[in-house]
Amino acid sequence: MVGNKEKKIKEPKVKDEIKEPKNLKKAAKNGLKVMRKTRRRHPLREEGRIIKYGTKGFARNFWLSSAATVVMSITLIILFVTVVASVILTNTADMMRDKIDITIYFKPETTREDLDTLTETISADSNTKSVVTADSKEEYEKFVAENAGSEEIINVLDDEMKALMISKMQATMRIKVYNVDNLDSIKYIVENDELFVKLVDEEKQPTYDVNQVEIATITSWARIARTGGIILAAVFLVISILIIFSTIRMAIFSRREEIYMMKLVGADKRFIRGPFLVEAEICGVLAGLIAASASYFGFMWLAPKLAGYGINVDEILGILQSSKLVLMFLIFVGLGIIIGRISSRLAVSKYLHKA
Amino acid sequence: MILLDSVTKTYPGDHKPALDSVSLHIEPNEFVFLVGKSGAGKSTLMKMITKEETPDSGKIIIGGIDLDYVKKRHIPGYRRRLGVVFQDFKLLPRRTVYENVAFALEIAGMSGKEIRKTVPKVLELVDLTDQSKKFPAQLSGGQRQRVGIARSVARQPKILIADEPTANLDKLTTEEIIQLLKKINDFGTTILVTTHNENIVNTLQKRVVTMKDGRIVADQKNGGIYKLDETPRPKLTRNMMQAPGHALKQRPRRVIQ
Repeated sequence: MVGNKEKKIKEPKVKDEIKEPKNLKKAAKNGLKVMRKTRRRHPLREEGRIIKYGTKGFARNFWLSSAATVVMSITLIILFVTVVASVILTNTADMMRDKIDITIYFKPETTREDLDTLTETISADSNTKSVVTADSKEEYEKFVAENAGSEEIINVLDDEMKALMISKMQATMRIKVYNVDNLDSIKYIVENDELFVKLVDEEKQPTYDVNQVEIATITSWARIARTGGIILAAVFLVISILIIFSTIRMAIFSRREEIYMMKLVGADKRFIRGPFLVEAEICGVLAGLIAASASYFGFMWLAPKLAGYGINVDEILGILQSSKLVLMFLIFVGLGIIIGRISSRLAVSKYLHKA
Repeated sequence: MILLDSVTKTYPGDHKPALDSVSLHIEPNEFVFLVGKSGAGKSTLMKMITKEETPDSGKIIIGGIDLDYVKKRHIPGYRRRLGVVFQDFKLLPRRTVYENVAFALEIAGMSGKEIRKTVPKVLELVDLTDQSKKFPAQLSGGQRQRVGIARSVARQPKILIADEPTANLDKLTTEEIIQLLKKINDFGTTILVTTHNENIVNTLQKRVVTMKDGRIVADQKNGGIYKLDETPRPKLTRNMMQAPGHALKQRPRRVIQ
């Protein structure tokens, strides 16, 4: 009895206070089960809240959001300019290449039948893109048509003169090729085919020898334009992504404490990340629309001036003046959303894992 | 409700453990002050409970949940079961008072209707009904802490942990906050408060657990006395000091010759 009384009076030590429940492990597991059970998930409701707070966040961080949007717009415009410049340069070089043809001059007595046979022979070569021929009479008519405005010339062309000109004018063959760098096969046909050897005018040589330097220059320009354009566009795409990523990262860096707070009060990663992603997407949509509009109006204003310098703007103009314009806007907006979303996700993840 | 058994934690690069075989048992509905100097291990202990840190050894069971079983993906769900009040309030600066409180309920998946019903009641409890549309920056320190408390109790947690909740507040506001915590404790919530403030510890007459160098050096039930610069005296000594006419209580008399 005395022993019991002493025990009651004695102050309990800290260690004595701890009495583990017998079925502790079971209780702990049950606790987890209850915890999981009470986690009610309504994806649509959550999505709605994420969008609501994302939109509010964009409005409440107006200056930061605006700065991010402007940077995004500028980088998207730079990207557009790079792609367009590459296309224009390639098209202009191609246009100049298309103007290159091989002209073969035949003796005046070459008939239409001869020309047709020669066309068949040269068309058999895989490098031949198209062949246009004209006999002496057709060359004369072309001459008349070209000089229709010049009365001095037309007035002297009486029947006698006409007959003389037709008898003297050379028949021609203009060949366009796929690959101007390799004319050997065509050259071989012209120099070895019997009919060609017989009818080619010996005094006026085919032009492929004459134009070789110009062909090489334009060809190298076209190649530089094409490969350089692709590389430049890729480089600018990477730079754009980095600039946008840095901007969004800075915006999120200034709000890293918020992420930490949300984590501490028990917010899920998705709920923390969501509003930041929505904000970045809004930035992306606005930047896409601003950049697409600026690019459209800018190009429409500049196109006639560029065309005046002999630059080929037809393909881009064709896109901007057709229903593909909507597609262009969608690409801009899509690019803005994707880059914004990826950048935001990466930036938030950094602080999500740290907290 | 809160059970720590031989919990030890040493931070990487430290030679001394932040927590050295700490054992503590807090019963449901208890109000416990955790006191001690800076570096005593109070914050580390709180971080263990909120699962911001994991112990090197020992067991922690909170509200019947063994924290060893709480995997990384379960941490948000576990934290939602606790109420946590912070020294620096940790309010979302770009959300209003109403939204800050509602946030705690939204992350728990509560419906809009329930939130609209609950938040005004909680704001009424902390006497902030007329401040609901303001942003944290527009509030005083005491008001911000009351928002923090409102957010932590909105989900009606069984356990509320407050890490130095009055550290940044003046005397009057401190009393308000402590009375508020006492009121929440009266509703049946287990409360664990870390503090440096000896006045609130001594006036509230609740259980006081004292930490020093990562260890619990005293555990005084029902009205502990705490002095910041001293290790708490045993209950017997305290009773002696409080006894009328005790030598320590008497003013030293000047001897006039």
